[in-house]
Amino acid sequence: MRKTLFRVCTIVLLLVLAAVMLVIGRGHTIYFDNKNLEVDGQKYEAVRRINVNVNGEQVAKLSKKERGMATCMGQSFQFEIEVIREKNGPSEFLTFDLALPYNMDGVVVNLPAMMAGLPQDKWMSEFIPAPVVEEEEEELPTDEFDLGGDL
Amino acid sequence: MSEMTSTRPSLGDRLRNLYFSFGLPRLIIAGMLVALLIAAPLVGANFWMQITNVINRFSWNGVLVLAMVPMVHSGCGLNFGLPLGIISGLLGSTLSLELGFTGPMSFLMAIVLSTPFALILGAGYGWLLNKIKGGEMMIATYVGFSSVSFMCMMWLLLPYHKPDMVWGYAGTGLRTTISLEGYYDQVLAKFLQIRIGDLVIPTGSLLFFALLAFLMWAFLHTKTGTAMTAVGSNPTFARAAGINVDKMRMLSVVMSTWLAAIGILVYQQGFGFIQLYMAPFNMALPAVSAILIGGATVNKASIMNVVIGTILFQGIVTMTPTVMNNAIHMDISEVLRMVVSNGMILYALTRKTEVRRA
Amino acid sequence: MSKRPSSGRKALSFLGANSVPIMFILIVGICIPLSGFSPAFLLNEIITRMGRNIFLILSLLIPIMAGMGLNFGMTLGAMAGEIALIFVSDWQIWGIPGIILAMILSIPISVVLGIMCGKILNASRGREMITSYIISFFTNGVYQLLVLYMMGSIIPIIHSSIKLPRGYGIRQTVGLLNMRQSLDNVLALKIGGVKIPIMTFIVIAVMCLVIIWFRRTKLGQDMRAVGQDMEVARDAGINVERTRIISIVISTVLAGFGMIIYLQNMGDMATYSAHSQIGMFCIAALLVGGASVDRASIGNVFLGVVLFHLMFILAPTAGAKITGDTMIGEYFRVFISYGVITVALIMYETKKRKEKAGMGQLLEAAQREEESAHA
Repeated sequence: MRKTLFRVCTIVLLLVLAAVMLVIGRGHTIYFDNKNLEVDGQKYEAVRRINVNVNGEQVAKLSKKERGMATCMGQSFQFEIEVIREKNGPSEFLTFDLALPYNMDGVVVNLPAMMAGLPQDKWMSEFIPAPVVEEEEEELPTDEFDLGGDL
Repeated sequence: MSEMTSTRPSLGDRLRNLYFSFGLPRLIIAGMLVALLIAAPLVGANFWMQITNVINRFSWNGVLVLAMVPMVHSGCGLNFGLPLGIISGLLGSTLSLELGFTGPMSFLMAIVLSTPFALILGAGYGWLLNKIKGGEMMIATYVGFSSVSFMCMMWLLLPYHKPDMVWGYAGTGLRTTISLEGYYDQVLAKFLQIRIGDLVIPTGSLLFFALLAFLMWAFLHTKTGTAMTAVGSNPTFARAAGINVDKMRMLSVVMSTWLAAIGILVYQQGFGFIQLYMAPFNMALPAVSAILIGGATVNKASIMNVVIGTILFQGIVTMTPTVMNNAIHMDISEVLRMVVSNGMILYALTRKTEVRRA
Repeated sequence: MSKRPSSGRKALSFLGANSVPIMFILIVGICIPLSGFSPAFLLNEIITRMGRNIFLILSLLIPIMAGMGLNFGMTLGAMAGEIALIFVSDWQIWGIPGIILAMILSIPISVVLGIMCGKILNASRGREMITSYIISFFTNGVYQLLVLYMMGSIIPIIHSSIKLPRGYGIRQTVGLLNMRQSLDNVLALKIGGVKIPIMTFIVIAVMCLVIIWFRRTKLGQDMRAVGQDMEVARDAGINVERTRIISIVISTVLAGFGMIIYLQNMGDMATYSAHSQIGMFCIAALLVGGASVDRASIGNVFLGVVLFHLMFILAPTAGAKITGDTMIGEYFRVFISYGVITVALIMYETKKRKEKAGMGQLLEAAQREEESAHA
């Protein structure tokens, strides 16, 4: 009886661990857009310059219409932006903590709309990579022992 | 197969006996082959061309599978060290080309030149196997691998000079594949070839195989041959009867190695190329599984097993790609071959055998 | 009856028992100066390879303990690890969590494969090694059926970037960039151009401790008993068949973990060839370290990795220096790998026969003594 209990507990433990790993290990790529965006008839303009910092390191320097990117593991993403609206003007520092949707690999964040305080679904969208046209790969694997290859 | 009993066995009994002695996996494989044959014309594959392919591949591989028989009879198990014999054949054929023979003569000389190599390598191999009775198969595999990789180095270093055998740029070192056009390409196959529309029968090769098979069968019925079989099936009895077990085993290994050398030559004439370097590496497994498919076990093999097994194995290997491709547009032939041939060997390895020899 | 062997004889028998590692030390000793590599480079390479391969080789120890010989079926565990990694990388789980998830995923696959392998090995008593060898080929076929045909078609794969252009089946190389060196980098130490992956070595050390602990558990003792003599173990009440299967299952699971560690270091996975080479080379490395078919220790693992991989790195360049052709060196290292296994197998078999003959003689002597006592 104790043995089965022990085994069931181990399996449950492993399953829980796996589930936890699934969540905290989920990798996302965040794309920051400094672009004009029209939402519900309202236009949100790009700003002269936005510098994006993640964990103290500068990840992107975005002029108007530019896009930068950063990677992130886990479901929440913290970053700081430095907003410069005029040349040699004052910098405005803002921090944000985003909850990332699980199913998206790549997330596009429109910074102007986000800074205006709109609800998340207005300025966050999924990044769909352009389909890559690949050439035909050569022969399928054989079962010969390859000589090449490192160990 | 089944003994004749005093009362006539009913049809049901006979069928059941046949089923048990044939074995389920073999029935499955035979069934698969029949299915493929039926399916071939249905999916647009040229039926007679397929038959020709199967017969061709049978003629190429038959002798290699035949090479398994002596060692199984003498109790050395399945000859996983076939590459050693193949290497002798490769040495003989490359030497024959190097010495300048062409045409059918080059084939004859290849046989002649392979023989001393086969005898020497076979003797060494046989001596080794005698020292390690009981662990033959595993060690044979690795002896085979080591020698193939050793020869890989040798093919680069040995002083061959013939221009169509060596790398053009460097001038030394043999190429990976050497074309046999002008030498003995198809030399047996074209001999007395029969053509009926799309069906081409390489009579020469088949006759050659039949000759060797007949010689093997005859040998097994001579005094030495029966002694060899005795050594395999009951070594204590053999020893008590005064038979030199070690010598018989050695003889069987040498025979097997020589047949393997001839076998690769027959394969080359059918295939049209000499393949060096890593090519012999994986040639033992197909031959092993072919004879097992044909009904042999680790300690029992007959000529019939060779014929049936090679037909079934080559049939599956040849027909699956074409039929599958035409039918479901998915080429699972390579994978199927792996699963079938290795599965067959596994089946044979897990059968209970009689008392292990001392 | 037995005289104390002279130190000369002891030295000779030491040489004989350890001929393979000694031979290797000689080969490596010659090749190092010949190849012209700097010591820092070699040290870095060796440490990397140790971190990469040791776990895999450790998985071979348990079956040897249980008398199953060299477990060529470790390839099955490697395949389980690869399948798990394909899924994990498809689901975009990165870094250490990805590795842990992959290890957890590989467990059920390894267990199923291990049980199948164990059962087949039990049915082919006395021929375990060749059977496990063929099993690895057979399962490779099944693996290809799964990965080359069913993944992407029947089994859903989200990202087309890891699929073949034709739409189903996994590519020949799967990039593991998001997991690359995650375990290694956790506590990496760089000393003078040599990178030491501390975390990986900690994992290895823990595994070694687990193995040492395992030997003392009841299950471990059972396995050793089965390894010594199956009939005696059976008489002692041990379920021999079950113990053997368990040893293979443990080995397979560990091989799965080891393959994941190996692949996270490599950074990408050769989907169809990685596992088949791994099996053969790990066994060769273990044998080079002085292990034999029926006896292997952790020390053999460490020594074997160092020697074998040194040879592996040095052979091509050394061969080029000697003969002017790099291919010679590459063929040479393949030859040495196979040669080592061949020599080890031969030594094992001859020793077995000598022991049997020796036992026969002892029996004879004992019988004679009995007869003379009765006379």
